[in-house]
Amino acid sequence: MNTTAFVWLIALPMVASPVIYLAGRLAARDSQSAAQNRAAYGAGLLALGATWIPFVLAARELSLAGPATYTVGMVSLRLDGLSLLLSAVALALGTLVMLYSGPYLAHEVGQEKYYAMLSAMVGAMIGLACAADLFNLWIWFETMAVSSYLLVAFYREERASLEAGVKYLVQSAVGSVTVLLGIALVLAQTGTIHLDEIQGAVAMGSATRALWAAGALFVVGFGVKTALVPLHTWLPDAHAQAPSGISAMLSGVVIEAGLVAMLRPLVALGGLSLMAGVSWGALLMGFGALNMLVGNLLALRQTQVKRLLAFSSISHVGYMLVGIGVGLYAGQAAGVQGGFFHLLNHGLMKGLAFLAAGALLYALHLSHKQATGEMETRPLTVNDLSGAAQRYPLVALALSVAVLGLGGLPPLAGFMSKWQIFVAGFATHNLLIGLLVAFAALNSVLSLAYYAPLVNAVYRRQPSVAMLQGQPLPVAMRVPLILLMLAVVAIGVWPSLVNWLTGPAGSAVLIAWGR
Amino acid sequence: MTFSLANVALVGVLGLFGIGLYGLLTIRNLIKIVVALQILVKAAVLALVAAGHVSGQVHLGQSLAVTVIVADTVVAVIGLALAVQIRRRLGTLDVQALSGLRG
Repeated sequence: MNTTAFVWLIALPMVASPVIYLAGRLAARDSQSAAQNRAAYGAGLLALGATWIPFVLAARELSLAGPATYTVGMVSLRLDGLSLLLSAVALALGTLVMLYSGPYLAHEVGQEKYYAMLSAMVGAMIGLACAADLFNLWIWFETMAVSSYLLVAFYREERASLEAGVKYLVQSAVGSVTVLLGIALVLAQTGTIHLDEIQGAVAMGSATRALWAAGALFVVGFGVKTALVPLHTWLPDAHAQAPSGISAMLSGVVIEAGLVAMLRPLVALGGLSLMAGVSWGALLMGFGALNMLVGNLLALRQTQVKRLLAFSSISHVGYMLVGIGVGLYAGQAAGVQGGFFHLLNHGLMKGLAFLAAGALLYALHLSHKQATGEMETRPLTVNDLSGAAQRYPLVALALSVAVLGLGGLPPLAGFMSKWQIFVAGFATHNLLIGLLVAFAALNSVLSLAYYAPLVNAVYRRQPSVAMLQGQPLPVAMRVPLILLMLAVVAIGVWPSLVNWLTGPAGSAVLIAWGR
Repeated sequence: MTFSLANVALVGVLGLFGIGLYGLLTIRNLIKIVVALQILVKAAVLALVAAGHVSGQVHLGQSLAVTVIVADTVVAVIGLALAVQIRRRLGTLDVQALSGLRG
């Protein structure tokens, strides 16, 4: 079997990362001013663009020959449906964010680090998606985390970024130690860290209390990155303070990568025991309900756009958890597929929302900061948005499409995936799950209470003072907005467009689950 | 509870984890917070080595432990770099002085 394609899919962005950095350093050595670093930007775009070739090859391999495994010594990587889904979201959003970030960062110091880290982060996420043993999973998870710490604290002269970076680093580091303790427990109990072998050992009947504890440690440890509710406090700060492209990456892929990383060991530990399936499914549904409610209630109080979007990510993780939890609980594919469909859609919609908000932040405040030489960037508030439609019609439309999609208005992408989750929930004919689904639907309505004011502000008559002084937007920042907007509308109208991604992802989990 | 190597290691792991967590919750100096994180990681390293011993996979446990040490050094370096930057920018290492983001 030809496995080189999917190995290149991981290796290319990782190997490109130091090359991007070096190219950027060499180019920046001659010029003293903080101008746009074209060498690093070009190398970054080239690297992520080229990664699409192995992606397409690997996707074809997967559809023709089924899951492929690649083993070097003790490390084994496995490409299945779920890996392909997460890789697709990471790579698509990563490429668009790379394109977007060129003009966005044009006047910042240390751009080459940004591009290099972004490339490494995309590579690490694809690796995480393909990890077939627990330790490998942890290594990729940690690589992803390390690259994102640096990106969150990119504005290193700004107090708020440093604060967000420290919070994020400390909480994530505790989470990753928790995961390690879980791995140690699994190793002590089963004598292996390979996901398949763990499943075999569990199926042999050694489902001891220690393995339940290990599962709980994985939920807590990966839950920090996934922003399960009591562990979410780092998220609004990190997402709001990072450069907007990174906010889009964090919210659109990184927290979802945490979710995938959590599902892998849970599914392996579930094994063939019915009890485990029911319990982990119920636990995920419980966290899902909590996440939806808390995320929405906290988002209602926000006046800063990026913070509001960050809190709404918490509630959207809730929908994914409900879908996946229902699927695991009842052993049906539709729920899991719905959860993954929402993962994909959330990546696109939240990416679009953050990029659009970032475009306005750039036009209104970042350029102002550069002109006056202030230390701190002013946050973009909801009031700043007024009248954006007159000066920035494209950005206004993009932001509206994104937040209405997130709120679940048909015919946009968010409606379709929420609908699939709700239908899957009702199909179980379980009263409690029915109530949970009704609760999720109510939350969806509640979320419109904070999305609608954004749309209202954007299309309001009088432009704000800041809006009138806004700078024009470069083309490279508009193209990602247009592409993502088209994707959100297209998936909403033809949801079967992405069945080739979500279907295999759902069945990959259920096959591993042994139902 | 018998006095076996595994039990001693278990007590060590829980002790180190407790000390690290207590440190993270009470300490306000950033550098000391990084030290507390390191103590937490040492608990995990000990746990991996002990797990290798218990399951008879000594090599596996030890190689995992070494990898964790390497990976975690990177985190410590970034934590300290942030601490340096904060000291430069704010003139203090107290995390209380940092807390400006709310709600």
